Amino acid sequence: MEILYLLVPLSVVLVLIILAGLWWAIERGQFEDLEGEAERILKDD
Amino acid sequence: MIRRIKSCLIIEFVSKTTNNNVNSLVAAQANNQTAGTPSEPRVNASLLHDHSRQSRLLQPLQTIQPLQQDASPQSARQSTTHSRLEQGEGAPIGELTQDWREFSEPVPEPTPAGAKLFSSQVLIDGMHCSACALNVERAVRAVPGVRSAQVNAASHRAQVIWDAELADPAQWFLAIKLAGYRASPAVDWREERGRKKEGRLALWRLLVAGFCMMQVMMYTYPAYIAKEGEISADMTLLLRWASWVLTLPVMVFSCTPFWKNAWRDIKRSQISMDLPVALGLLITFAVSTASTFDDQGIFGNLVYFDSLTMFVFFLLASRWLEVKMRNQTAGSLEKLTRRLPVSVERLSESGEFTRVGLKDLKPGDIVRTHAAEAFPCDGEILEGEAWVEEALMTGESKPIQKTVGQPVLAGSHNLSQSVLVRVKALGKETRFAEIVKLMEQASLNKPNIVLLADRVATPFLWVVLALATLSTLFWWLWGSDPSKALMIGVSVLIVTCPCALSLAAPAAMLAATGNLARHAVYIRDLNSIEKMALVDHTVFDKTGTLTRDSQRLLKIYTPQGMLDLEQDIGARSSTKHLPFTYEQLKTFQWARAIAAQSWHPLSRALSASLNPFITPGQAETDLSASLVTELAGQGLELRGKLPVQDNLFSKELPLAEDQNNTPADLRLGSSRFCNSWFANTVIPPQASSCQVHLVDRAGWRASFLLSEDIRIDALISVQELRNMGLGVELLSGDQEAPVQWVAKQLQLGEECSRAKCTPSDKLARVSELQKSGKTVATIGDGFNDMPALAKSDVSFAFGQAVPFAQAKADVVVLSNQLWAVPQTILLAQKTMRIVKYNFIWAGLYNFICIPLAVMGWLPPWASGIGMALSSTLVVLNSLQLARSSVLKSRPS
Repeated sequence: MEILYLLVPLSVVLVLIILAGLWWAIERGQFEDLEGEAERILKDD
Repeated sequence: MIRRIKSCLIIEFVSKTTNNNVNSLVAAQANNQTAGTPSEPRVNASLLHDHSRQSRLLQPLQTIQPLQQDASPQSARQSTTHSRLEQGEGAPIGELTQDWREFSEPVPEPTPAGAKLFSSQVLIDGMHCSACALNVERAVRAVPGVRSAQVNAASHRAQVIWDAELADPAQWFLAIKLAGYRASPAVDWREERGRKKEGRLALWRLLVAGFCMMQVMMYTYPAYIAKEGEISADMTLLLRWASWVLTLPVMVFSCTPFWKNAWRDIKRSQISMDLPVALGLLITFAVSTASTFDDQGIFGNLVYFDSLTMFVFFLLASRWLEVKMRNQTAGSLEKLTRRLPVSVERLSESGEFTRVGLKDLKPGDIVRTHAAEAFPCDGEILEGEAWVEEALMTGESKPIQKTVGQPVLAGSHNLSQSVLVRVKALGKETRFAEIVKLMEQASLNKPNIVLLADRVATPFLWVVLALATLSTLFWWLWGSDPSKALMIGVSVLIVTCPCALSLAAPAAMLAATGNLARHAVYIRDLNSIEKMALVDHTVFDKTGTLTRDSQRLLKIYTPQGMLDLEQDIGARSSTKHLPFTYEQLKTFQWARAIAAQSWHPLSRALSASLNPFITPGQAETDLSASLVTELAGQGLELRGKLPVQDNLFSKELPLAEDQNNTPADLRLGSSRFCNSWFANTVIPPQASSCQVHLVDRAGWRASFLLSEDIRIDALISVQELRNMGLGVELLSGDQEAPVQWVAKQLQLGEECSRAKCTPSDKLARVSELQKSGKTVATIGDGFNDMPALAKSDVSFAFGQAVPFAQAKADVVVLSNQLWAVPQTILLAQKTMRIVKYNFIWAGLYNFICIPLAVMGWLPPWASGIGMALSSTLVVLNSLQLARSSVLKSRPS
């Protein structure tokens, strides 16, 4: 089970990476207009 | 044709370096003007001169312009209209450059040399769904020079990035208009940017808490399922350290709002919900941290990172929902206040239009309002005509056409073309300001029920703090280890939820008010919702409330036969197909021409009702008033010949007859008045019930039966009220016969209607009803029923004739639909039901959970869930009142 000494810290890092990714998505306004984007794929522009 | 295009005045920003796109779209009238630096778009209000040079883009514009006749009878007035409306088009409108900079900023993007990009923020009106947003985007993108367009369907805002060399805002404003929407500059975009940033930060806090919570839960899970000794001490320590690391961002970042609010409370020595929350969070984190790094210490070896993160996540989530809901409700108010333009074009003494700020306007000024702009003031159209949307003021969703001399309201939208308006009232004196004030009042004044909840909440919080301290001390002194005792205290702090208590009433009431405002029903005082839910008797006024102010033509008797307009129009759907003869048509013409000379209500109604018989191709019979004398209480008399024009009737009819048939004298009025010309009675018995008759020297010509025009939704509204179990009563100051007739039409029994009531009679009747234990709602025009309205428990003011501020009613119905009355009462009942449920829920929750927590039976994580759920439930429960589906739509 020594591998856990690597995996647990790694998972912490992973969460931090995910949070950074979310920050990127939020800053680009991806959560601001959820309906419009859903409609967009139905329309062929 | 040119004039028609000219009439669509759109300020064109014409780049000096016009390329062919711009050239094809607009013909710059004054290219020789040299405002602005060469590289910047120079502002120029220009006309579209050459029809043949219009691009395809402009074509549909002509079809939406109302047709203007170049050679209209009022051509003198018309021509000044055009000259003044056009005047100044060529003149430079200096500050306009600055104007579009108010909602635009340069894009600092690295672009190919020379390209000057601007990013503009606009508000789009008229979008109903997210698909609309895409339509707008597509329309804007199609304009050459527009780099990108992003429309947010939720906030109705658009960001357009455009190249100043190739495009200008006027072009894509036009494109948006052609797509069927309205764009207005988002002048508040800086604040909006701040709001957006706040919103993003809040979401980011929530997500950080959420993800950290999930991961901390994962690290804690082994401790829950492992048996004693299954996990090595090292591994436990590792998992706790990992939990601690991930709790840190939650404490430091996600919890900032709690720290801030708690600190503010301490500084001002007050108390709010955030203080116990912050206290609980701090204690939990301190205890857990201590036991993580020193498991032999005083706080024992238990950690609560999972409870902590979960609590923060749930609490943030419930607040997030609350804010969303408040925005939804406040949205209608905010949308309202944002309507007025920042600057307007004013006609200066030199005859030019200059842009001035709204606050510089004075009554009496003349301003020009363009298509897609909102009127800045209450005023009167001086020149031009336009389609105007007044939905917020009147509840009328269809555009209304306004011509010279007609009033316009501040905040209503000009939909079609530029008009000149003389300013009558500004700022606080406008109807618009009254509505805004009313809405603000309603949202600010706290109903008694809310005040009560607030009064309870503060002492309640102190009790909670005391309880938490006491229970901690109790458990500490009575043998539990300090860590456990502290966590019991934390549970008590966290589980109590006065928010649910203080949210219970305002959340529901505000949701309902917002919903009603969308239907042009304004509630002056939130307290009236409480009373309205109890209403069990309604008292209606007749004229102007159940009936329209005007009367309606029912039947016409002529020597050639009788026309039953009610049935015949119903069967044939239009007056065009009515089986009237040439003789009759002529008679109608005369009657209308004479009736038009009087202001008597019956004459007004008659001339308006006869209008449909005059087809537009026919010229008007123009009577000068001097030919007609009005004898008060009797009727109108015409001496001499009725000047009939040659083209009075359509060409298929024999014209020659006309000369002989033109009558010399005419009388229009009561039967006695008409009969008095003759030795014996000329009006036939079948027409004796009519109020208005027409005779000439030769004898009887026609009789007109008019009746009160009951509102189309009067019957169904009355029935709806009765179905809801409410009493309905009609009190009118009118004569017996018309009141009985209206009562019969509404299927009200004899006992439910009273005629010839003076205002004091009405007042007496309302008091009598109240004495017999009824809660009375009075529905009147808010003006001459004042005493009765004031006396009754709830009052509805109805109709648009009322000066808004003077209508001392609790509820002002601007939509002119009686159907709004049963719906408002229904919504009030639902609202109070939900308020009751909210209170019961919040009370029960606290009553049950606090003892449990004090006893130590409620672990911190359960308290966290409980608290977040209890206020979320209250909010969600209230939110259903904001849905428009709560209100029944009117059966047609």
